[in-house]
Amino acid sequence: MRRVLIANRGEIAVRVVRTCRALGVETVLTVAGADRDAVPARLADAVAPIGASYLDADAVVRAALAAGADAVHPGYGFLAESPRLARACDAAGLVFIGPTAEQLGAVGDKLAARDRATAAGLPVVPGGAVGSRAEATRLADQIGWPVLVKAAGGGGGRGLRAVAEPAQLDAAIERATAEAEAAFGDPRLYLERLVTSGRHVEVQLLGDGERVICLGDRDCSVQRRYQKLLEEAPAPLLDDGLRSGIRRAAVAFGRHLGYRGLGTVEFLVDARRGDFYFLEMNARIQVEHPVTEAISGLDLVAEQIAVAEGGPLRLAQDDVRLAGHAIECRINAEDPGQGFRPSPGTVTRAVFPAGPGIRVDTHVQAGSAVPPGYDSLLAKLIVTGRDRAQALARLRGALARCEIEGVATTAALHAALAADPEFGRGGADTGYLARFLARRAGTAVRADVTDKKAAAAGARRG
Amino acid sequence: MADIELVDTSLRDGNQSLWGATGLTTAHILQIAPVMDRVGFRALDFTSSTHMGISVRTHKEDPWELIRLTHAAAPHTPLQFIGSGLRFISWEPVHPDLIRLAYDRLVVAGMSRFVVLDPMHDMEAVLRTARMLRRAGAREIIAALTYTISAVHTDDFYAGLAGQMAACPDIDRVYVKDPAGLLTPEAARTLIPAVRVRLGEAVLALGDDDPPESGSLRRNTKPLELHSHCTIGLSPLTCLAAADLGVAALHTACGSLANGTSLPNAERVVANLRELGHTVDIDDRLLARVAGYFTDLALAESLPAGQPREYDASFLRHQVAGGVMTTTRRQLDELGLGDRFGAVMDEVSRVRAELGYPIMVTPFPQIVCGQALYNVLGNERYQHVSDQAIRYVLGRFGRPTAAVDPDVADRILSRPRARELTAEPPPASPAELRRRLPARISDEEFLLRATMPAGEVDAMLAAGPARRHYNPGLKPVLDLLAGLRERPGMSGLVIDKPGFRLELREGTRQ
Repeated sequence: MRRVLIANRGEIAVRVVRTCRALGVETVLTVAGADRDAVPARLADAVAPIGASYLDADAVVRAALAAGADAVHPGYGFLAESPRLARACDAAGLVFIGPTAEQLGAVGDKLAARDRATAAGLPVVPGGAVGSRAEATRLADQIGWPVLVKAAGGGGGRGLRAVAEPAQLDAAIERATAEAEAAFGDPRLYLERLVTSGRHVEVQLLGDGERVICLGDRDCSVQRRYQKLLEEAPAPLLDDGLRSGIRRAAVAFGRHLGYRGLGTVEFLVDARRGDFYFLEMNARIQVEHPVTEAISGLDLVAEQIAVAEGGPLRLAQDDVRLAGHAIECRINAEDPGQGFRPSPGTVTRAVFPAGPGIRVDTHVQAGSAVPPGYDSLLAKLIVTGRDRAQALARLRGALARCEIEGVATTAALHAALAADPEFGRGGADTGYLARFLARRAGTAVRADVTDKKAAAAGARRG
Repeated sequence: MADIELVDTSLRDGNQSLWGATGLTTAHILQIAPVMDRVGFRALDFTSSTHMGISVRTHKEDPWELIRLTHAAAPHTPLQFIGSGLRFISWEPVHPDLIRLAYDRLVVAGMSRFVVLDPMHDMEAVLRTARMLRRAGAREIIAALTYTISAVHTDDFYAGLAGQMAACPDIDRVYVKDPAGLLTPEAARTLIPAVRVRLGEAVLALGDDDPPESGSLRRNTKPLELHSHCTIGLSPLTCLAAADLGVAALHTACGSLANGTSLPNAERVVANLRELGHTVDIDDRLLARVAGYFTDLALAESLPAGQPREYDASFLRHQVAGGVMTTTRRQLDELGLGDRFGAVMDEVSRVRAELGYPIMVTPFPQIVCGQALYNVLGNERYQHVSDQAIRYVLGRFGRPTAAVDPDVADRILSRPRARELTAEPPPASPAELRRRLPARISDEEFLLRATMPAGEVDAMLAAGPARRHYNPGLKPVLDLLAGLRERPGMSGLVIDKPGFRLELREGTRQ
């Protein structure tokens, strides 16, 4: 592999360029529109304009061939889990840096993935496919309310809808079908029991098509509407037996698929009862991969490229040694005060922290444009400590030194999270962030009132 | 015209010849290993037991970990180990079972290509070591024909050895090892064909189905490689002659680690080979990156860059290879006796003759140069004699190629110490050594503790895992920061250069 086409943008494009450079592999970055002036385009060895969209698989393959690339790295999002791109690469004699098209198909379709997981012996949340409203009501009654309506072709938190009672089901199904059709071109739905309190724990797998190893777990429970905001590794306060059960299940699934590449198996965990359920598998590099790199000392992109080149795994399970604790904050161009509304614009100032145990993955510097219509991720701040307490202390210090101006960001929210005693205890569930935000809103209102009173008092004195 | 492969020697022999084997740390190697893996080298000359000892002693880094990490970072390119099968890390001969254990662990750690070398050309020892390596799982075993100029070291002599190597199923390849860079293109034109014919014949005799036509010689021959140092400027030309004569691979080095007393510069060799019509499947862009990396590293770390060498006729007398010459010069400089270097080199020629013309490869240059140092710095020649020199005369390193001068042999063996060493028990077996060392240590740690002072191994373990990243461009800034840390009283810093001004002042944040 001498030249890789990176079919992505943003921080993951920078991340892939970094590893390629260390490996001596040239990079060509696809750019759409104004991205040709962005940081990733300047870091890559060359750029390949591909029109208006990062979603055109044929354009990506054409660009790769025109650039003389011998492989395509899809990053995450966009075409990362597109069997169509994987097949088009195969047909054009290009290496697709990811799993096989068949594996992408098997895990990309939520219903198919559920079936494969069941076949591999993994527990799944009670539920199933629904073809009609009547079928949905019957199934919901059977598995118990509330339920979650999911799009079979969805992902990344999209196409999900919680339904609390039978009266809301018809409308929810109708809207979900229309949305799923529009967003994913696939109207199929399925129902699951809505587990209201649980933790989101995922396991990082690496396979070469024959052997599959586990690179530890991550906790991604700090979510807002199924969008991850903060992740850590390893998952804190998890019983040893439960942790090894989850890891074993993930590896069993990977082996069942004969998996090749990087993949993440997501689980819903009831830590109190010691139960866990398979949620889905992400067949790509994840946004939160750096926390795994931080505690394993591995370069996951390098390992991904190594198996894509057809080589066997370069390490055995026993070679994977995890040490310390790592936390990643996603600093998004969103305004938490306005319901996390995206905040596009131009970054006028960007100062990121540096120091021992601190890593920042970003594509942003002063002057960077944050266009609407793309993922709002500006930077990932990753801190590592010998234990969670040290990582948290470093996180607080690092966030205090992080300055981004010109667009609204989630940085201050992360600082508040890092200072929150409940988060500090570890093991928060997926409902935690909503509760924290409600609590914070209350505090903010009270603080506001206090300020006004003080101001009024000051005015009277003046 | 032929396809010629390159074996890169930067990491082992380049480092040894130019930087006393102490120039490269784990981080230095790991940073560039993934790129070296993609250049297209046939193998990387990677380490020896001497280098492993230096990792522990000088860098406080685990040499086993270095092998494992490098193999993981460069999985497609075989890593080569060079050893004589007589010793491991320490200079004393060791028990064969200890060598066997070391080879087993080296293969497990990721070494796959092994040089078999016996400076006395004792073929029985060579075949024994090759068999031991094959059993350990070595994938490619390459035997050395160590070149020198003497009345016995004729083309026929080397051809005879090559014939025996060709007949040995545990030897896959052979190379002409020219540690002192003595091989001229003229000498190569008779030596290489003589050796290649024997390498081919023996394979045919082993029952190859192809008729022995002249055109099939190359295919049926055990491949021959050339490893010739640049010491007196001959090897860049000799390499080109060797390529025309059917050598399969040439040993070269990159950037600042090439030339001088090291191996020829890979970039230049590739360009010259192509100019002469040969094909070399090397990625030029990546080769340039590797060369640039070592050049930047040399600048950042103040290590001397190899320079092309002038021809030196006097060198043919003392024949001291690059690494030993550098070490000897450093030792003299440390003693404040740098001006005696010429005298020591003259003495080296004399001692070498008196000791029966040992070929100047490890451990003999160390023995000869050490003795020459004693002889020059002492009141009287052979007043001081090292244990190693006594063991040499006692035949502990094998039978010298020619007889030792009888007067010198008497002088050495009449010493009380010689009698003690004569009565010296044979090297301890691993089982015996285990009893003397801490219980429940890994084989890897055992091999270090069995051959090194405990304090050095303890210090390595105490230092913790080695750094894995290195950027020569950051060295000046890191040096500046380290310097600042040593001056706690400073309250400000100003860096001023055209178009750039950085001011740091102690105070409160705004």
